[in-house]
Amino acid sequence: MIDEPVDPPIWKRDFPYQAAAEEEVTRREFARYLVLGTGALAAGNFGLAVWTQLRSINRGQPRAIVAAADVPIGGTYLFRYPGDDDPAVLLKVSESSVVAFSQKCTHLGCVVYFESDADRWHCPCHEGNFEALTGEVISGPPTRPLGRIDVEIRDDGMIWALGREAV
Amino acid sequence: MEALRRGRRSSSAVVVYVIILMSLQVFLVTVAAEAYLADDSGMAWATAVASIVLFACAAAFLKYLRP
Repeated sequence: MIDEPVDPPIWKRDFPYQAAAEEEVTRREFARYLVLGTGALAAGNFGLAVWTQLRSINRGQPRAIVAAADVPIGGTYLFRYPGDDDPAVLLKVSESSVVAFSQKCTHLGCVVYFESDADRWHCPCHEGNFEALTGEVISGPPTRPLGRIDVEIRDDGMIWALGREAV
Repeated sequence: MEALRRGRRSSSAVVVYVIILMSLQVFLVTVAAEAYLADDSGMAWATAVASIVLFACAAAFLKYLRP
């Protein structure tokens, strides 16, 4: 008995392929998608760098923050500077002296607060500590000082923010 | 047959290299995000440059794959 040639199934006629060749194509396509993915991540990294740079360019315009009489000596006052998304805090050191800093920890951006008993700025996220008057790092994971904001008490009795210092 | 097997092995190696490079890219994204949160533009730019170099390396590996 002689076997008659069998017609290939319809799907094989419509989509002819060779198994080995298909595997190569798939692998190559996979590698190409991966490279495209790394390209997308590189573009994202570049965008983040541009965004970070743009944020640091805005140093803010001079503006009144709060009446000096409303902040007790040794007390703090929270405000936003230079933008509405930039938390900042000032510390009234004496009747004629105030200091102000960005409230964002230079480690990972958590909010710092003033510890009056230890006379320092403290970041509760990773136990970073900064010097009260200069914002320099005392201890913890941060490596850079707090972003300083120039402030002064003017004759009208208001505390003015003059601009953020360059990092 | 031997050539085909060698070709498959080399293409697999390329895929492994690219996967490693992509893992590094993901790590660099986290570093860039941290630099953004900390307003550290120097770190952000260094990360961006490293990321672009890794992308170029990954793209260069593609030439070792047969079209």
